[in-house]
Parts: sequence; structure tokens; C-alpha cells
Amino acid sequence: MALYTKEELFLAISTVIDPEVGFNLVEMGLIYDAECDDEGNVKVTMTLSTKACPLHQMIVQWVKEAVEKMADIKEVEVEVVWEPVWNISMADDNVKKALGA
Amino acid sequence: MNSISQDFAPPFKLIAPYFILGGIFYILSSFFVFSFEVSELSFLNPSIISFVHLFLLGFIMMTIFGAMAQLVPVVLEVGHFGVELFYAIWPLLLIGTLLMVFGFVYSADLLPYGGVVVLISMMIFVMEIFMTIFKVKKLNLVMSSVLISNTFLFFGIIVGLLMALTYAGTIDLNIHELLRAHVYLVIGGYISITIMGLSIVLVPMFTLAHSFSMRPLEISITLMSVGVSLVVLSSVFSVEVLAYLGYLLSIISMCFYFYIIYIIYKTRPRKENDVYAISLMISYSSLISALLLGIAYFVTAKEEMLLASAWIMFFGFFGFLITGHIYKIIPFLVWFERFSPLVGKEKVPMLADMVPYKSSQAQMIFSAVGVLLVTLAILFRSDVLIDAGASFLVVGAFAFFRSMLFMINFK
Repeated sequence: MALYTKEELFLAISTVIDPEVGFNLVEMGLIYDAECDDEGNVKVTMTLSTKACPLHQMIVQWVKEAVEKMADIKEVEVEVVWEPVWNISMADDNVKKALGA
Repeated sequence: MNSISQDFAPPFKLIAPYFILGGIFYILSSFFVFSFEVSELSFLNPSIISFVHLFLLGFIMMTIFGAMAQLVPVVLEVGHFGVELFYAIWPLLLIGTLLMVFGFVYSADLLPYGGVVVLISMMIFVMEIFMTIFKVKKLNLVMSSVLISNTFLFFGIIVGLLMALTYAGTIDLNIHELLRAHVYLVIGGYISITIMGLSIVLVPMFTLAHSFSMRPLEISITLMSVGVSLVVLSSVFSVEVLAYLGYLLSIISMCFYFYIIYIIYKTRPRKENDVYAISLMISYSSLISALLLGIAYFVTAKEEMLLASAWIMFFGFFGFLITGHIYKIIPFLVWFERFSPLVGKEKVPMLADMVPYKSSQAQMIFSAVGVLLVTLAILFRSDVLIDAGASFLVVGAFAFFRSMLFMINFK
């Protein structure tokens, strides 16, 4: 049985905020998936709003650290993917509304 | 946290001098406008040439070089070949610019020295960029634009040096022919293509725009490259028709560039009109105005149309595009250095919190009114309007400098 559910992992990652837009990565729709096995090994699949993001490495590190703060986590792997390409339709309604999309 | 590579964000102390000096040159350029006399406005007037170098070398190139120290790894997706070289570029560019600016007004003997120092500074920059590009395995369109623009810069500064030597009487070449090649290589070949490439990365990044075709940009860069090459060939072989074809292609190229920016603007999800967005609107409106005035020049053959077009292109299009991006680049660099290590430990500001509202708004309004007044002054040959416009520009430039210091010192 998984140590944490996807929802619990998403909740932990939602503490990471994009300093440019001011929303957390989960509500931006940048976190595609997160899974944890019964030993506490986590894999997060995410994307970024642009390939040229200068905070690329830092955001990945923040996601990792946010998950590592959870109890009994052994290892965290964060994979950044570019398919499917992120677009604003993946963001939560409050984000779209705030941005005027 | 310490394991994070600094490749994509060089230390701010390396880049800060470029922006601070750029801001000072922006103020000096604004003051310089007071010295314009409409009856003497001409592209070959030494005072105007001095002003153009003060603005283009001191403000535009200085700021672009600083921005490139941060943006090149972002665009090319590799670390710099030797980012430390940027410590040497700004002092040389500063000295060379001052020698040239004073040289055009007071003593032509200073020009070869200024030209050589600028040449060394830019050669270091171009070589660093080339060596960084060589690290890229596969070039995309934007990466290619960096390669193309820096190749034009390489030739542009060589022609510039030949001009400085001719101006000082050291060698004897046709300065009018060289001028055309120099202006086109640097402004069309380097500044315009650099702006095209970088803005197509930055504008969608900040507006969150996606799913637009890059085809118009491809056409735009191709047309500008061919246009610049034709103008240079017309200078070398004295074939006037090639120059006119080059001018035409450049205008069409800028229209394609404007089209892709318009598509991004129309489809952007992020619709807030902050200082960045409004600066860009003013900038691109200036581009359209400059193109229309350029076309009007070809129809009417009135020099004031061309002068007004060049003015609005420099202070309106280039100026606002650069000041607008400064409101994004400086907060990012300061935030990265000062606040990113605190993420997760304490509350950190958002990047937008670091931009001073009042002084940034004042800069936009005063600078925009200043650009408009000077444009009208050139078109209607009015010295009073020149002084009025210069007054607005100076206030705008000081407001910009104040905003910059606020962002740099944000704690």
C-alpha cells in the first residue's frame, strides 16, 4: 500500500509558489502526477510553463524539498516532461480568473 | 539548495554595472536632447552622431549586453563559455563610448581610440557568445537568431572602426557608404534581430502565451538578414538599387515581427496590464509609428520623416522594450540572489512586489510624452517642442533610474 496518496503529495507540493505569477504549482496545473510506493519512494511528474524558465532547476529542487518534508519519505525523483505541453486550460479556475484568461 | 547550478543566473554583481551604467546613459541621452536644434538636425551632424552613440552604445548596447549575460543561458539552454569575461566588457564599453561621444563633438582624434576600445569590448562579447553557441548541440530558430545577430555585430563593429579611422583622417574611405553599412549591420542586423529572437522567448514567458506559429518570426529574421546583407552589398559595390531593396525587405520584416507579437498579445492568457505590459504596448506602437514614418519618407522624400522615424524607433521602440524588460530582469536577478535561498524557510516577496509602482508609472508616462513631443518637434521643426520633450524625457529617465535602484536595493 502506498505510503501517501496522490492528493497528499499534491497538497505538500502546493506549498511551492511560482514567484513570477504568484500561484502555487498545483493550481497552475504544472504537476501532472505524483506517486509514492510503500517504502516512501516518490516520483513526481511535472512540467513548466516554458522551456526557457530560468528557475527550472530551482523549482525542481523546491518540489523535491516540499515532498522530502513529509514523514518517512526515502527518496524523491522529479521528472520534468514537455508532453503534454502546458497551457492555461490546465490551471484551476481561480488562476484563470485572476490572470484574466 | 547549494547544489543548484548558477549557470542560468550569473551573480548579480556581474550584471549590475551594466544596468546602472545603462540607466546613467539613459539620463545623459535625455539631457542631450536639450542640445538639439531643429535647423541643424541631420544624420551627418557630429552632435547627432554623438547622441546616437551615447544612446545606442551607452544605454541600448550596455543594457543588452548585461541582459544577455543572464538571457543567453536561458535561450541557448547551456551555461556560458566564460561568464567572467563580462567583468571586462562593461569597463571597456564605458571608456570606448565616452571617447567616441566626446570625439564626435570635441575632437575627432579621440575617435580611433574610442573605436578600438569599443571594438575590443564587443569582440570579447561576440567571441564569448560564439563559444557558448558552439556548446549547443542543435540550434533552434531563436538560437540561430543569436548566432546571426552576433555575426552582423562582428562585421558592424569592424565597419565602425573603419569609419572612426576615416573620420579621424587616418585612412581615406567613403564615409557615407560605410555609414549605411554600419547603421544597418548594428541596428538592423544586431539590435533588431536580437530583439526579435529574445522577445519571442520572453514575451510568451511573461504573458503565458502558447500555441502560436513561429513561421512569421522565421520569415521576419530571414527578410531582415537578407535586407541587411543587401544594404551592405550596396555600400561595397555602390549599387543604389540594392540598398532600396534592403530597406523594403527590412520594413516587411518588421511587419512580420509585429504580426507575431500581435498574435501573442491577442492570445495571451495573462491579461494584467502591469508596467511591463504597458511598456511593451508603447514600444510596439512606436515600432508601427516608425514604420509608417519610414514609408512616408519614401513617398515624400522629406528628411524630417526619416529623422522622426529613427527617433521614435530608438527612444520609443528600443527604449521602452528595454525599460519594460528591466522591470522583469532586475527583480528576478535580485530575488534569485537574495530571496531564493529563503524559500520554504520564511515568507519571500513575489517578483511583482519588487517593482516600485509610482516611479515606474511616472517613468512610463513622462518618457512616453517626451518621445511624442520630440517626434512632433522633429516633424514640425519646433525648438520649443524639443525643449518640452527633453524636459519630460529627463524626468522619465530619473524616474527609471530611481525604480532601478529601488529594485536593486530591495530587502
